[in-house]
Amino acid sequence: MSTDTDTDVDARSRGLVARLRASPFLSELLSNRLALAGLTIILAMLVTAVVARVTLSYDALTASRLGGTIPDRAPPGWIGPAATDQYLFGTDASARDIFRRSAYGAWLALKFGTVVVGVSTLAGVSLGIIAAYYGDVADNVVMRTMDVLLAFPSLLLALAIVAIFGNGLWKATIALIMVYTPRFARVVRGAALAVLEDEYIEATEALGASDPRVLIRHVFPNTLAPITVQSTLNFGLAIIDLAALSFLGFGASGAAPSWGLMLSRGVENGLLTGKWWMSFFPGMLLALTVLGFNLLGDGMRDALDPRMRDAVD
Amino acid sequence: MVSKRFLLKRLLLLVPVLFGVATLVFAILHLAPGDPARIIVGQRASAEQLQQVRTELGLNDPLWVQYVRFLTDAATFQFGDSYQIAKGTPVREVVSETLPVTIELALFGQFFGLALGIPLGVVSAVKQDTLTDHATRIGALTGISVPIYWSGPLLILFLSTYLGWFPASGRIGATIFLDNSWQLLGTELPLTGLVTVDTLLLGNVDAFLSAVTHLLLPSLVIGIYSMALISRMMRSSMLEVIRQDYIRTARAKGQGARITVLKHGFRNALIPVVTVVGIQFGSLLGGAVLTETVFGIAGIGTMLVEAIGATDYPLVQGTVLTFALLFTLVNLGVDVTYSYLDPRIEQ
Repeated sequence: MSTDTDTDVDARSRGLVARLRASPFLSELLSNRLALAGLTIILAMLVTAVVARVTLSYDALTASRLGGTIPDRAPPGWIGPAATDQYLFGTDASARDIFRRSAYGAWLALKFGTVVVGVSTLAGVSLGIIAAYYGDVADNVVMRTMDVLLAFPSLLLALAIVAIFGNGLWKATIALIMVYTPRFARVVRGAALAVLEDEYIEATEALGASDPRVLIRHVFPNTLAPITVQSTLNFGLAIIDLAALSFLGFGASGAAPSWGLMLSRGVENGLLTGKWWMSFFPGMLLALTVLGFNLLGDGMRDALDPRMRDAVD
Repeated sequence: MVSKRFLLKRLLLLVPVLFGVATLVFAILHLAPGDPARIIVGQRASAEQLQQVRTELGLNDPLWVQYVRFLTDAATFQFGDSYQIAKGTPVREVVSETLPVTIELALFGQFFGLALGIPLGVVSAVKQDTLTDHATRIGALTGISVPIYWSGPLLILFLSTYLGWFPASGRIGATIFLDNSWQLLGTELPLTGLVTVDTLLLGNVDAFLSAVTHLLLPSLVIGIYSMALISRMMRSSMLEVIRQDYIRTARAKGQGARITVLKHGFRNALIPVVTVVGIQFGSLLGGAVLTETVFGIAGIGTMLVEAIGATDYPLVQGTVLTFALLFTLVNLGVDVTYSYLDPRIEQ
């Protein structure tokens, strides 16, 4: 019995590997060195985020350490006069370790970025598929509402919503979900409309399949590819926008180790006096993470678009 | 040619969008926490004073009455006076003073974006898969990954504070401004509000140069983002065009590669780039908000941020509506230009 199951599992996993190898999308993606570099950056950030979340105490990271033995606004250990390598990125105006705080910032950015992209993808996919499938009134109501939201430049819509809901990381997250949902809805509606033209959908309906079955089993899987690309590219944008709201003072508050907030405090407390490290390092990690998502998303788009594959003759 | 029918259809589609935008802006005042009347009279005012202001503002009327009044007011851009930031000044006046500042910044940024992005995209496409191409593509991806509120402060530190090449903030040198303020020159108000244009119109070259050097760094910071998007679009559009039959024909007729690319390829490849210019105008405006904050420029973006912070709702409404209108109009312009360049789009 057990050997049977083993071979079953073996066969199945071999089938999976073969399928993965045969997939033109994946092999294209894996042969794209830039996309791989992006994936590496994202994974490294993810590891940093999880390690920081597990090993560091949030209270210790946010508490002011002024008045202790640690100097405030101290340059990074490797350039400072007292070459202690203890503070790799230096300390901030409250004598806190910028390295540890930046590492924890990765956790906040990825966590809230995931919420923004996850929820707006779900909402956008549902709205887009419903609009495409039911057409008429549903399509008009959904898409005209999306048009209104798309009539605002994204950061400005987020600011307008923040003006209604008030400040805070979670409220900024909700604002960005409302900003990003229409983008997904539009892409998914387009993809779903193309799928719905196909004859097999008509055949499935003729066989008596229910609406949810058609939508979930047949329409949804065919919109997955554009959604994945869109999600990846928007992940980077979501992280930038979230940090922008914190930078402007409407997102993270107090001493939260968010990259946007650390950047704005760093600029306020030290930039004009040449204490560059207070804003440089949080911003560097932020830019690097966003670059990771952009590299990966770009590679995915190329892998999906066969026109981009062949070289010019 | 742009057909009248297309133009009419496009304008009609604008009606529900503008209506929705106005409704959302109306909601800002009514959903936001805090009583607008209380914000105006302050915490220590008596109940009677509060009631009086509420009546003056029409806050005691039924919601639909307030909504209809808001729509008619919004149509003529009457949002009342600012509560806090520019206390007592009509929002309309604040907007008309600060909007040109932002437009000037956005235009300069767009100029850098186009001037750098288009040639980079063409070179990248023509030299596809060479080192130049890879470097350009990585550069472009880095450009859209670096946040303005990081590159801005760092550039200020290195180029202004350390090297002293550029002024760190403001629109024009303080001494120049004092010597040549509009009042002294006999005009009550700036002519166009665009400081580079006004200084030229007044024939003051020193002031003009000062204005330009003040604009260079912020518009470069904003322009990097557009540059990245434009060069990417230009590259892929160019790659598609140079694979077309008519390019092959031109080459087969013996036309040189360089001339073919410039004469036949470039013009056709520009068409999709027009759309990108429109789409990224939104991020350009968002970028203007951040850039103005970083460089201490008193544009409409800074106004919005300060107004939200101070719960100055009429000012928030006026600035948000202005941004939405501006963005919508630019997109309309882009659609019309696009259909002019490529008539197939009208179907």
